[in-house]
Amino acid sequence: MKPRQKQFLYAGAALLIFVAWMFYAADGPQTTAVLAGTVRAATLLALGAMCGMIGERSGVVNIGIEGQFLMSAFVAFTIASMTGSLFLGTVAGVGMGLIMGWLLAAMAVGLKVDQIIAGTVLNIAALGLTSFFYDRSRSLGIGKYTNIDLGPLADLPLIGTVFFSRPPLTYLTMALLVLVHVALFRSVWGMRTRAIGEHPGAADTVGIDVLKLRYLNVTIAGGLAGLGGSYLALEAVGTFSRAMSGGRGFLALAVMIFGRRTPFGAYAAALFFGFTTALQNQFQLNNTFDIPPQFVGMLPFVVTIIVVAISGLMGSMRDPAALGQTYEKG
Amino acid sequence: MAPKRRHLLALLMVLGLVTAAACSSDGGGGISGGYSIGLVTDTGKVDDKSFNQSAWEGAQDGAANIPASATASYIETEESKDYANNIQLFVDDGAKIIVTVGFGLGEATIEAAKANPDVMFIGVDQWQNEALPNLAGLMFPEANAGFMAGALAGMLTETNIVGAVLGTDLVPPVVFFKEGWENGARYTNPGVQTISTYHPGGLDVAFGDPEWGATTARQALDQGADIIFGAGGATGNGALIEVAGEAGALCVGVDSDQWFTVPEAHPCLVTSAMKLIDVGVAELISQAYAGTMQGGNYFGEVGLAPHHDFDSIVTDEMRDMLAEVMAGLADGSINPMPG
Repeated sequence: MKPRQKQFLYAGAALLIFVAWMFYAADGPQTTAVLAGTVRAATLLALGAMCGMIGERSGVVNIGIEGQFLMSAFVAFTIASMTGSLFLGTVAGVGMGLIMGWLLAAMAVGLKVDQIIAGTVLNIAALGLTSFFYDRSRSLGIGKYTNIDLGPLADLPLIGTVFFSRPPLTYLTMALLVLVHVALFRSVWGMRTRAIGEHPGAADTVGIDVLKLRYLNVTIAGGLAGLGGSYLALEAVGTFSRAMSGGRGFLALAVMIFGRRTPFGAYAAALFFGFTTALQNQFQLNNTFDIPPQFVGMLPFVVTIIVVAISGLMGSMRDPAALGQTYEKG
Repeated sequence: MAPKRRHLLALLMVLGLVTAAACSSDGGGGISGGYSIGLVTDTGKVDDKSFNQSAWEGAQDGAANIPASATASYIETEESKDYANNIQLFVDDGAKIIVTVGFGLGEATIEAAKANPDVMFIGVDQWQNEALPNLAGLMFPEANAGFMAGALAGMLTETNIVGAVLGTDLVPPVVFFKEGWENGARYTNPGVQTISTYHPGGLDVAFGDPEWGATTARQALDQGADIIFGAGGATGNGALIEVAGEAGALCVGVDSDQWFTVPEAHPCLVTSAMKLIDVGVAELISQAYAGTMQGGNYFGEVGLAPHHDFDSIVTDEMRDMLAEVMAGLADGSINPMPG
């Protein structure tokens, strides 16, 4: 990132914090509620975006995140309900995510199926399978994940409630954001991953096994979506219902593009999407504006289109060069 | 094989075919009384633990109650563009009674009723502007149900803030529930603050988004609401479960007694604003079978579900007040949606 851009970023962040503080001073509970809602809605999107990002950085488009969420949510819920352990449910959800990731890799990398079709297969299969096997008499039996206060940090005004009094998978997601950032941009694995997404031929000539690494990365990324599914069923909602992912897997892709395929960028974008949801709820709760809820609900999508269009026109946003292409060893 | 035996074999095969054909027409035709009832859901599912499920249970009850050995079956609508096709599938299949569930299927049901005058149609939550002889719209005074629940909430709230997490305002019954709920709360507690939210999405997602329901319920709890009405299929169920995790907060379910459909909500569920959809559907099926069904609008019953674990916190005074409210709603002296 250029120094100039960095300055803008810091200035923008400072401005945001200032504005948040002003609102907090004006109405504490409301500001806290909106920002807590923001962080909450952002978690699932951030996990989905990281899943998409690792795939795309390696050159594999994953539009099956929606299906990966749904399938993992179903498995996490079922296992947690059977064993009475949220932890085992979460592990099973992540495991299902890995399997779904492996399936995508097997189709898109192994069998060289068109990547869009492979992702669509996952989505359709997940919807069909979970709907068929869903047992409506089953309930979690135990409560969902509850908030854990991080010691004195949780007592801080505003920030304490918003960031440091969260359920466990949210903390895990925040930690994973840092981990994925470091791995992608500071490790050998990350460099190789970006290489096979940009120029698989060149990577191959220096001895990187392109197909093997793509296989591995898409599978690992599936695990992140699996964590997202577990989060959805066991932390956000506390039950399973059909098609409960509600398009968030696709939204995660928008978040990923908006965030320029970087973990922190994606988290910022996810927070933005979460914020618009929380804000439109707040408008209604306060009964301040008489505008249709659908209008405000539409805003994040409009902003995404504008941002992507402007970045595209200015040439500052580009996809990995080998994105969506199958690689044949030459 | 000798030519003679070959002929015999051919003859046997033809005989077999004829027998099979005769059998199949016997089973599927109307002569031996294969009376079938079809139900088409809205984009929700028959196991949504709420609206569609209630209608499906009603259809099964209705099928069991009528003298003919009737069978009920359903089609779940995946996308709203399939409404007409799904209804047509039952028409082609020879269904005698077709139940369509939800406001969204209104137009498709009217079209189908006009095209098939011999088939009886029951449209749940579908207001009929003009009466067709073979189509009954099963309507409910949702505002009354919401008003009763709101009246109870107004008396129970300690923070004087009551919240509602709702499906979409594109569906009139949801709006009636909300307006009734808010007015009911104000009726018993003039100082109450009502905070309500509709799902921002379209018909396709508004009733199937528990994550939004849970997040929104939390947002309302965070600003002081201590009793929350979750009305909107799986979306509302998400809200109920979220409230269940908050010590001391109460929740109110919708459509059916959600004590039985959302066990996760037991720690907070004080009542449900019920539309007795199952009773209404079963009753209309009996009427349709007997040939006494009137076209136009049929009004079903609404009511409050039992308080279950929270029976002790509803005092006698509150019960008297509720009885008064119910009487007022019944005789028209209370208007649940003024203005």
